[in-house]
Amino acid sequence: MKHHTHAIILAAVLLLLALASGCSTPAGGALERDWRLTVNGTTEKVITLQELRALPSVTGYGFCVSTTGARFGPYTCRGVDLREIAALAGGIGPGQQAWVSAPDGYLWVFDDDQLDGKDFVTFDENLKEIPSPPLRIILMYEQNGKPLPYDDGGPARIAIVSEQPGVITEGSAWVKWVDRIEIREG
Amino acid sequence: MLLAGTAFFSGCQAPEPVTLKVIAAGSLLYPFAEAEQEFEAGHPGVDVQVEGHGSIQVIRQVTDLHRTADVLAVADESLVPDLMYRPMEGSDRNFTDGYIPFATNEMVIVYTGKSRYHEEITSENWPDILGRPEVRVGFSNPMLDAAGYRALMVLQLAEEEYGDPELFENVISDHFPSTVRVRETGGTTVISLPEIIRPSDDHVIIRDGSIYLISLLEAGGIDYAIEYRSVAEAMNLSYISLPPSINLGSGEYAEQYRKVTVELGFPRFSTLGRERVGRPIVYAMTIPANAPHPGLAREFIDYVANESESGRPGWPAPLARGVSG
Repeated sequence: MKHHTHAIILAAVLLLLALASGCSTPAGGALERDWRLTVNGTTEKVITLQELRALPSVTGYGFCVSTTGARFGPYTCRGVDLREIAALAGGIGPGQQAWVSAPDGYLWVFDDDQLDGKDFVTFDENLKEIPSPPLRIILMYEQNGKPLPYDDGGPARIAIVSEQPGVITEGSAWVKWVDRIEIREG
Repeated sequence: MLLAGTAFFSGCQAPEPVTLKVIAAGSLLYPFAEAEQEFEAGHPGVDVQVEGHGSIQVIRQVTDLHRTADVLAVADESLVPDLMYRPMEGSDRNFTDGYIPFATNEMVIVYTGKSRYHEEITSENWPDILGRPEVRVGFSNPMLDAAGYRALMVLQLAEEEYGDPELFENVISDHFPSTVRVRETGGTTVISLPEIIRPSDDHVIIRDGSIYLISLLEAGGIDYAIEYRSVAEAMNLSYISLPPSINLGSGEYAEQYRKVTVELGFPRFSTLGRERVGRPIVYAMTIPANAPHPGLAREFIDYVANESESGRPGWPAPLARGVSG
């Protein structure tokens, strides 16, 4: 009983220290509950994470590299194809672009060819360029079978995935913490 | 047991190692890897951890992504006041209020023994060689890397220097499907880029950063790349030096460089606009206001600045008086 009481006091102290230090990342539950994705095209649609998860999903291998050569992955990625999401607001047609942004002020643009998985540079695990296998751009919400952690861009980030493991793509397009997708004319 | 307890209470344990977090621009990774080893050797118990990003991302790690770092080092001094002279969230202190300009660089044309016409190219005839249709020219993505938009500035400035008004067209814009546009406005040449920078043929090849360009160059996938001189030297590559009036490495030509602006296709970062104005290349280091180890950070900065001043191979060049600004 005494041990039990000590454990509770220790847990409370640790919690207070964590809160006081202000170093905690946003709590997963609240973050997932409060997350909204705005999709703006010919119409505008706002969806929750639950609604995103209810859309048809794609699972594939994802692996990315930074501009200075730091590798992130490999991951098993699950999410929704960007074309599927664009369809919520009228779809994306030839010549149009998807402007994907996040609350940290980061923006990346994909054109309709890229939404078909074309025109990406791909590397093997030694960062040697290889011919690109078929790729898909998804809004990933699950990484390695678990909800995407905040530090990796959760609740939802862009991932470029393939059915073939070990294919690395350039990380600048892997937008973290996505909360807005706008369809624009190219 | 008693001895162990005594040692514990008397504070005789080895001191906790200190981690000095340094976030640096990609073109500084080679010199900073050397500086890391040397600084650690002179500071037992200090672990210098160097992490590389594009210069804007270096600053964003602290300002937008709320990470802590002891030293930030960027390849464009103007980014520090533009992005960091503003209050931190929930504080009346700015992210920083000053920086140390410590080195410069210049743009060069790198090549290897596999490059087409490598035995023929000189600092006089390179515009002709880079304009030949069978030659493949590479540069970094201007959206991601300062070396990318600086490459475009060099080629535009070269038109006047070499008296060839079609140089930029021949080397660059003719190889895009009408999406790279050049216009004159009030004495400035503005190079306007599309959202997706996709060449229409194999004459121009774009990659996200220097390491991919150099790897492609070494594999024979491109013939020439426009790069920093320090990168060429660090990688033991052959290069053609360019005149100071176009190489972005001389403070004396600041007015000349300012005549070219690159307008990016979209604002990748909301905190910074789409325009990049031609300026002399000046590297800068700063200590964020919330750095965990500001004293040690200052020592590291002083070490790098002093070493840089001695002009080490593979490091950006010492900053000549008057270059900054």
